[in-house]
Amino acid sequence: MTPASLPLIEVSNLRVSFFEAEGVIGAVQNISFSIPRGRTLALVGESGAGKSVTAKSLLRIVPSPGRIVGGRILLRSRREGDIDVASLDENSGLLYRVRGGLVSMIFQEPMTALSPVHSVGSQVAEAILTHQDVSPAAARRLTIDMLAKVGIANAADRYEQFPHELSGGLRQRVIIAMALVCQPELLIADEPTTALDVTTQAQILGLIKNLQRELGCAVLLIAHDFGVVAQMADDVAVMHRGEIVERGPVRQVLKNPQHAHTRALLEALPSRRARVV
Amino acid sequence: MKPPPPLLSVRGLTKHFTAARTGFRRRSVEVVRAVEDVSFDLVAGEAFGLVGESGCGKTTVARCILRAQAPTAGEILFQLPDGRVVDLARLTERELKPLRPHVQLVFQDPFSSLNPRMTVRDLVGEPLVIHGRARGAQLDEGVCDMLRSVGLDPAQRSRYPHAFSGGQRQRIAVARALILRPSLLVCDEATSGLDMSVQAQLLELLKELQRELRLTILFVAHNLDVVRNFCDRVAVMRHGRMVELATTPEIFSAPRHPYTRLLLSSMLSPDPDVPMNLNVGDELAKLDSTPA
Repeated sequence: MTPASLPLIEVSNLRVSFFEAEGVIGAVQNISFSIPRGRTLALVGESGAGKSVTAKSLLRIVPSPGRIVGGRILLRSRREGDIDVASLDENSGLLYRVRGGLVSMIFQEPMTALSPVHSVGSQVAEAILTHQDVSPAAARRLTIDMLAKVGIANAADRYEQFPHELSGGLRQRVIIAMALVCQPELLIADEPTTALDVTTQAQILGLIKNLQRELGCAVLLIAHDFGVVAQMADDVAVMHRGEIVERGPVRQVLKNPQHAHTRALLEALPSRRARVV
Repeated sequence: MKPPPPLLSVRGLTKHFTAARTGFRRRSVEVVRAVEDVSFDLVAGEAFGLVGESGCGKTTVARCILRAQAPTAGEILFQLPDGRVVDLARLTERELKPLRPHVQLVFQDPFSSLNPRMTVRDLVGEPLVIHGRARGAQLDEGVCDMLRSVGLDPAQRSRYPHAFSGGQRQRIAVARALILRPSLLVCDEATSGLDMSVQAQLLELLKELQRELRLTILFVAHNLDVVRNFCDRVAVMRHGRMVELATTPEIFSAPRHPYTRLLLSSMLSPDPDVPMNLNVGDELAKLDSTPA
């Protein structure tokens, strides 16, 4: 295989444990997956399945007392070469370039992911100034361009506004601008539309799709909603109690699920259920 | 034969909020028209869905019916079990108290709606105490019966909410709402925060209890899929007004209002071969630019 055709990210035998006073909890147990450039892998499962911990491992932001206890997270970066994120030193400059530079994340709750005391524009500009060698004036211009690109009208005026002045949909657009402004090679989207209305959800998902096509980045989508998965993902991995119980192309997994847990999840969909009478 | 009078009849319900803006030179008063001239009936025994996006006024309608808020205008005619009809919109706080057991509420978030310092016994028994319905052994027995009917083990009644999962907590909230044997139960996004499978179980429980206790349910939700599954009739709200009201099959198979059609087309199919609507933004803008 040529290097270009190797997947952008290859996670193998990842294990994450939480060292609680009551004992050790294996939140992620020996999971492996890979995502090629330009493709989207959806990680689905119920709350507590280990989806978000897996996502946070890729950025090395697993909250204490959680720790990566084994496995490899190989990122084949165009800009920085091959990196094993799992074994990077906590204080290494490379880890800082990975976080928010090579790999960035869209969080679920746009209200808590943004600082309430800084203007939304300055928060996007901060990401640029952290990762790129540009002047504050240039960062401002780049920010306004990016805000316009994610579909925010009057971007220059919006730059000065604070999160509480924006609707949920606009806030999520700001988060997306922030995540994509440094042109990450991997985008992690953790339930990016769970908190949004259906019409807003459709718009935000369309936006993520378009920007992914434009940047050519890989996407790891964390979701519990099969509607979102069906519309966004190329491949699906189903998590249950810290393990991946089924993995495959989206059509195969959703239309012909093999594992009992996948079938149970799909059967819980209101549209798949007989009317409750 | 005349049809039986509705359990609840909402007529011209309007709720405006005024927000005072203090500027440097002048003060202005901004009026938010949260609910504007909304009318509908609830037939005894039905599950009625009230849907719409955030800010459309659906929760305000529910809060007016519960009289957590006083409406600006309109009537809320409620039929009591003895056949009398009262206008909830006009009653004072003192007149409302004896009527409150008839209309109860399940909130969206079982993590913030249950007092973390109260045991399950106290949480579920409190309404009986407040309304002087039971005490002592009788109270305890009532609580145990109620817990059993929502599928919880009465042996766990001395535990605190934190010991329960989200789905179990919502069952505690349902028990607390139903222990007074209301005739109308308002569920405000009662299943929104739950995992799919837990949500499905809770909906089944609600349906079962509805039949058993002959409940009428006002189901406020933004998830159309859940409403399709649970409700007999659906009303769609937008910008404080009701844009469409029809039976569930009619709403989902032959929606009349363009906004209802847009809402339905925004739903994501779990089938990868049914593409999503990528023009929602444009269609919404078009809807806003054409006068109703």
